[in-house]
Amino acid sequence: MKLLFKLAAKNLIGAGLRTWLNVIVLSFSFLVIIWHKGLLNGWDMQARTDMVNWETGTGQYWQSSYDPYDPFSLTDAHSKIPPVFDTLISKGEIAPILITQGTIYPGGRIQSILIKGISPEQKVLKFPGKLFLRSNEDLPVLIGSKMAGDDGLKEGDLVTIRWRDVHGTFDANEMKVIGIFNTNVPSVDAGQVWVPLDRLQKMMGIEGEATIMVCGKFYSPGKTPEGWKFKSSEELLKTVTDIIKMKSVGGMVLYIILMSLAMLAIFDTQVLSIFRRQKEIGTYIAMGMTRSQVIGLFTIEGSLNSVLAALLAAIYGIPLLAIQAIKGMSFAGTGKAYGIVMADKIFPVYSLGLVVTTIILIMITTTIVSYLPSRRIAKMKPTEALRGKLQ
Amino acid sequence: MENSILISIEALKKHFTTSGGRFTALNGIDLSIRKAEFTGVVGPSGSGKTTLLNIIGSLDSPSEGRAIVLGQSINDLSVKQAALLRRSRLGFIFQSYNLLPVYTVFENVEFPLLLLKLNDGQRRKMVMDSLDWLGLTDKVKSKPAQLSGGECQRVAIARAMVKKPEIVLADEPTANLDAANSHHILKTMVRLNNEFQTTFIFATHDEKVISYLKRKISLVDGKVAKDEITGN
Repeated sequence: MKLLFKLAAKNLIGAGLRTWLNVIVLSFSFLVIIWHKGLLNGWDMQARTDMVNWETGTGQYWQSSYDPYDPFSLTDAHSKIPPVFDTLISKGEIAPILITQGTIYPGGRIQSILIKGISPEQKVLKFPGKLFLRSNEDLPVLIGSKMAGDDGLKEGDLVTIRWRDVHGTFDANEMKVIGIFNTNVPSVDAGQVWVPLDRLQKMMGIEGEATIMVCGKFYSPGKTPEGWKFKSSEELLKTVTDIIKMKSVGGMVLYIILMSLAMLAIFDTQVLSIFRRQKEIGTYIAMGMTRSQVIGLFTIEGSLNSVLAALLAAIYGIPLLAIQAIKGMSFAGTGKAYGIVMADKIFPVYSLGLVVTTIILIMITTTIVSYLPSRRIAKMKPTEALRGKLQ
Repeated sequence: MENSILISIEALKKHFTTSGGRFTALNGIDLSIRKAEFTGVVGPSGSGKTTLLNIIGSLDSPSEGRAIVLGQSINDLSVKQAALLRRSRLGFIFQSYNLLPVYTVFENVEFPLLLLKLNDGQRRKMVMDSLDWLGLTDKVKSKPAQLSGGECQRVAIARAMVKKPEIVLADEPTANLDAANSHHILKTMVRLNNEFQTTFIFATHDEKVISYLKRKISLVDGKVAKDEITGN
């Protein structure tokens, strides 16, 4: 085997330009696959971190009627905060949020919104609730930059807001935008108005009640109180997981195209080699190699393309990938435009597992592609091969 | 004397299936070849010379009859056994040299020794000895493309001789060479035959080669027409 590797390496290098063309194409595939997967990994990590920091926490308790996909459920989706959580709330390990429907009238237009009440003192989410503490407005609100952009709102604007209290009675007031926050998580931004929790409780006439309770990093879930249901972090992050999974599947198409191009080049070279090097094959057999050794030699020759490609990709790829990992890749506005959790800049994350898996995958594929045409050697007559006669 | 018979062929026939039907290349060959012979199988194109050499070299097998080479029946050899026989005991010289183009002269000559799994030191010594016999020590780093036809054929002889095989099979070894190179090559082979007692078997219709043979086996239509000692 060692001999076959030695001979194959010599033959491969000796083939010159043909080898290097294959190696360049294959190294490019290596690089793009690793880069793209790294980018998805980076996005996945960023999206999960942002979701946890801005929306889901490490888990949530939902009032049993609450269904985020059914706005009508909000009418009944509120309950007294169980006393068992009082200490945790004061310690900043749990953040209660009250959610209700409402309408605002920015610039004479009408827009349905969700009004969310959050405690200004909470430390569970990255939400800048402390801004409420600096305001002495009657109805101070915070909105996200996407919401502000869509509705043409800016800090200091007064907008009419209307809501229904617990008895179903409509009420309205002037809200003042006291701050605009920036987040990569559209689900806490688009169509949402944030007010202090106690203010919303008062507006609704349901003091001491909440719709959901977001758990912090240090909270470990215990017994779920009656009338509430616990949602784990994995359940809450399922949408992100699904989006990334979908993107990964989309990425597979790219990988398949790239790999097909590289494999086509190698397959083509192997087929050509076997036709052009018939005399050589005959000579190997005449000198005492078995057909299976010659097949092995040609297969190793083909698969060594992937080894050279990995080395070449490392030479020009490591600096490129490192620069990308440090500087990130700009996706400014993409997340907000499409309503997905995506930072303006994504920093690819390349794990050892990713690199090793990609290399192994490409090597296995290359070996298979190299072996398939080489099997033809088994059917060759050495006497014909020695004369270079096409078989 | 019986012990010195290296090749024994009895009623050997070889048929090929072609588009025009069955073609008989060898039609009942009987012959034996002893150690250190310098023998030529001569005859016109299509007489079966190369087919006979291929069978002796275990690159092909008989359709009928028997061929025993170095005590092994070619009829019964497995693919692996045949490869082992060629690897360790037979040397080949081809009309178009069949050197490996990406290897240097040294590496080409070293190749059979790599298959025999000899160590670096042994290989180096044997290759240099072989190149020395052929006067190629100044060409060790050259590649076949940088050599003349005569030099290429000398490299091919060095490669065939390096492992000191018992039999060297040479198929039209001078066909691509001019007269001067042909004589040079043939004299070298005669010297090696005398020095190492290696049996040389040629397939040829070149008069220059024939003039060096000690025994001439003439084939016509796949049959031995004449088997004569030439007295060289």
